[in-house]
Amino acid sequence: MLRFATRRLALALLVALTVSAISFFLLRLSGDIAIALAGEGARDIDIEAIRAQYGLDRPLLFQYGEWLLQVLGGDLGTSLFFRTSVGALVLDKLPVTLILGISSLLFALLISIPLGVLAAIYRNTWIDRLALSIAVVGQALPNFFFALILVMIFSIGLRWLPVSGSGSWQNFVMPTIALGYYVAPAFMRLVRAGMVEVLSADYIRTARAKGLSRRSVIVKHALRNAVVPVVSLSAVQLGYLLGGSVVIETIFALDGLGFLAYESITQKDFPVTQAVVMLLSVFYVLLTFVGDLVNAWLDPRIRVA
Amino acid sequence: MSGGAILDVRHLKVDLATERGTLHAVRDISFSVEPGRTLCIVGESGCGKSMTSLAIMDLLPKSARRTAETLSFRGEDIGSPKVMGRLRGDRIAMIFQEPMTALNPAYTIGDQLCEAYRHHRKASAREAREKAIALLERVGIASAGDRLGQFPHQLSGGLRQRVMIAMALMCGPSLLIADEPTTALDVTIQAQILRLLAELQEELGIALVLITHDLGIVARIADDVAVMYAGQIVEQGKAGDIFGDPHHPYTRGLIDCIPQPGKTRPGERLGTIANTVPSLVGEMRGCAFRDRCPHARPVCAEDVPERRAGDHMWRCVLEALP
Amino acid sequence: MTESTAFAAVAMPSAGARLRRRVFGHKSLVFGASLLAVIVLVALLAPLIAPYDPYAQNLLARTQPPVWYEAGTWAHPLGTDNLGRDYLSRMIYGARISLVIGFSVMVISGLIGTTMGLLAGYFGGTVDLVVTFLVTTRLAMPVILVALAIVAILGGSLLVVVLVLGFLKWDRFAVVMRSATQQVRSQDYVAAAQAAGASTPRILFGEVLPNVFAQLVVVATLEAASAILLEAALSFLGLGVQPPLPSWGLMISEAKAYMFFSFWLIAIPGTALALLILAINLAGDGLRDIVAPEGRE
Repeated sequence: MLRFATRRLALALLVALTVSAISFFLLRLSGDIAIALAGEGARDIDIEAIRAQYGLDRPLLFQYGEWLLQVLGGDLGTSLFFRTSVGALVLDKLPVTLILGISSLLFALLISIPLGVLAAIYRNTWIDRLALSIAVVGQALPNFFFALILVMIFSIGLRWLPVSGSGSWQNFVMPTIALGYYVAPAFMRLVRAGMVEVLSADYIRTARAKGLSRRSVIVKHALRNAVVPVVSLSAVQLGYLLGGSVVIETIFALDGLGFLAYESITQKDFPVTQAVVMLLSVFYVLLTFVGDLVNAWLDPRIRVA
Repeated sequence: MSGGAILDVRHLKVDLATERGTLHAVRDISFSVEPGRTLCIVGESGCGKSMTSLAIMDLLPKSARRTAETLSFRGEDIGSPKVMGRLRGDRIAMIFQEPMTALNPAYTIGDQLCEAYRHHRKASAREAREKAIALLERVGIASAGDRLGQFPHQLSGGLRQRVMIAMALMCGPSLLIADEPTTALDVTIQAQILRLLAELQEELGIALVLITHDLGIVARIADDVAVMYAGQIVEQGKAGDIFGDPHHPYTRGLIDCIPQPGKTRPGERLGTIANTVPSLVGEMRGCAFRDRCPHARPVCAEDVPERRAGDHMWRCVLEALP
Repeated sequence: MTESTAFAAVAMPSAGARLRRRVFGHKSLVFGASLLAVIVLVALLAPLIAPYDPYAQNLLARTQPPVWYEAGTWAHPLGTDNLGRDYLSRMIYGARISLVIGFSVMVISGLIGTTMGLLAGYFGGTVDLVVTFLVTTRLAMPVILVALAIVAILGGSLLVVVLVLGFLKWDRFAVVMRSATQQVRSQDYVAAAQAAGASTPRILFGEVLPNVFAQLVVVATLEAASAILLEAALSFLGLGVQPPLPSWGLMISEAKAYMFFSFWLIAIPGTALALLILAINLAGDGLRDIVAPEGRE
């Protein structure tokens, strides 16, 4: 278990390092930041001055090394647009995105696990087909379109929820649904497939032969085993949800990382974009790492070896 | 049969829906088990003996349909899911063939031993634990207290089957159905488990229904025997009658396949039964064994009479084997 | 079968007939494939069936509602947008953009991912390690964000979007091809080809690829759907295909300002997108059932 953990951790660190290099070079190579910084119509002399001020005239590899050291030291640079510390900016917006990511993951699990279990128990009946249809239609609906439908119904039609902002919990309802529904089908299929397999396992027959209640057989004996792969998928999907928050946060003007990233891209505020990309990648790597560990821990065959 | 039967099965049929049509896995069988006795149901794989045990327990797969004129346990109608739901795992327990997969990998032995007892007896965790330890010791597991905290994958196949037996006995059932309980085990372990089952059966006075393909096991443990072939019971009776005076050519064929100490000389060929079991899909008329029977004749394609001599029953056009 | 046999066997149909029956008996596959075929046909025949030039503005006929509204007319069955352009014609031409995106991204990412997966699965060892590492790294990068950033730098255009998505979305191809190749590689006919002295490229393209092709097709359809959705999202955010191209995602974005009074401006391209994705996914899922029937049960 420990050996497994250290190997996975080494891989995680290597991946994080690679992503940092990619995001750094991609953004540096793609255009002259000094020109972007100086703005349109700037004189050459101003551009030169900015280049020197930000250290942009030095070799790229050197700049990367310096940037990496700064990042490791907790300094993510200065926003070109807000003229403030990127670290502070990102930390300020992080909670909103974390809340959104976790609440939409919970929302997805809340609808997909019962649906998947029902579909498996009533396999090949209309319940199964209905659950599958919901999944298929759900996966076909673009999330920004679904978000606008929600706005149309709950904000414009019923006037129950605010269209945009991030002041209260009501601001999170529609973004949570719009972000979460899209990953639910994947969970549903996974739970269904897992339950179908587990329900035909010998130990389920044993549990039934013991005369346990149907609930106990399904929840304690079957779901416990079928839900194991859901954990690692949750980790992966949470990473996806944090990334997908760009679209949803922008639609609802929810003041989180995604919205910040979108603004930084349109304003060519590269240090901020870079920081968000890095942060999300590190999150993803950490989450899959934790997911693998939890998975291993959930399986006594690995835990108690 | 007799009024004292603990389990009475009359005209049981099990049909399975398959892609190729309806498979008649169990075709109208009747038998009964008396308290404290051991009934062995013996037959080749696919003859419907496992389906019979699952049908009694109401644990058939969803694609299966069960019909029976009588399914009663001590006079209670266990054809009713409600009644069976109350008795299953409590008064009637079952042991399965695969000790490797029949235990849930996610829970400890202790948890799986105790849950049925706590469910049926509403017992406390401590009571259940004491009972579990006592039973594990009874089935021959050393340091039982430590075993409770272990997971199935940490136990050998033989140990797991002992755990399965202990699990089945937790609530003190009066009927135990064991479906090929030793098939998946090593030969030496098989003998130990079988001896254990026989001992427990005698000691606790349980009625035992043992499903097996191994006539050697039947010879050692059975009081009564039912020989199944292609979904039917072709011969049934006291063990002594079946082994001493078999009336069905199939039973005779099976017995000829067992090596007998003292009788079978080294190097001598054992009997074999030619061909294989016919498909159970579709309707059947006449004797199912006729394609493989050394005594087959045209009349075998017509309805087969059920013959009796006391407790002894067989289905054959012949009154006695030549 | 002779008279004396106790049980009659049921005759089994031939393998070809069974496959045909499985394909045409698979309702969702038939539905998805037909719907997709209709959309492709509409896109191909766009110049013939579109009633108007999709770029022709008519400022006198702005935001006219579709025909099922009271104020709608058959002159513009799906109405007109805020610049008076015929919405039906724009929808028809928009299908072309989505399909071009889906197809091109699928080809580019498919080439990259399949090559990586084949090599990793076939050679194993260091090659496998490197590919696995690249896939993990790629998965760690948030696709939408990276795509947005690159499009912002390079400038939005159809070509840029296709290239960016093509170079970002090869991961699933690589993962599936890797494991499929690993399975095929252990088969006897590959060993036989190796023993016969066939060259590695010959084995890869002659023996391995044909045997993983079915799975490749399934991944390809699902990836095409995902690319179409991503393009729509990028264009919706203004960092994808640029106006005046009639990308469905862009049309939704342009209609956002009018959603209060003219929600149909959003609903029509949104529904079209959903139907296209539905068609591709149903076809892909159906293919998966046919290729690996045990996958669903």
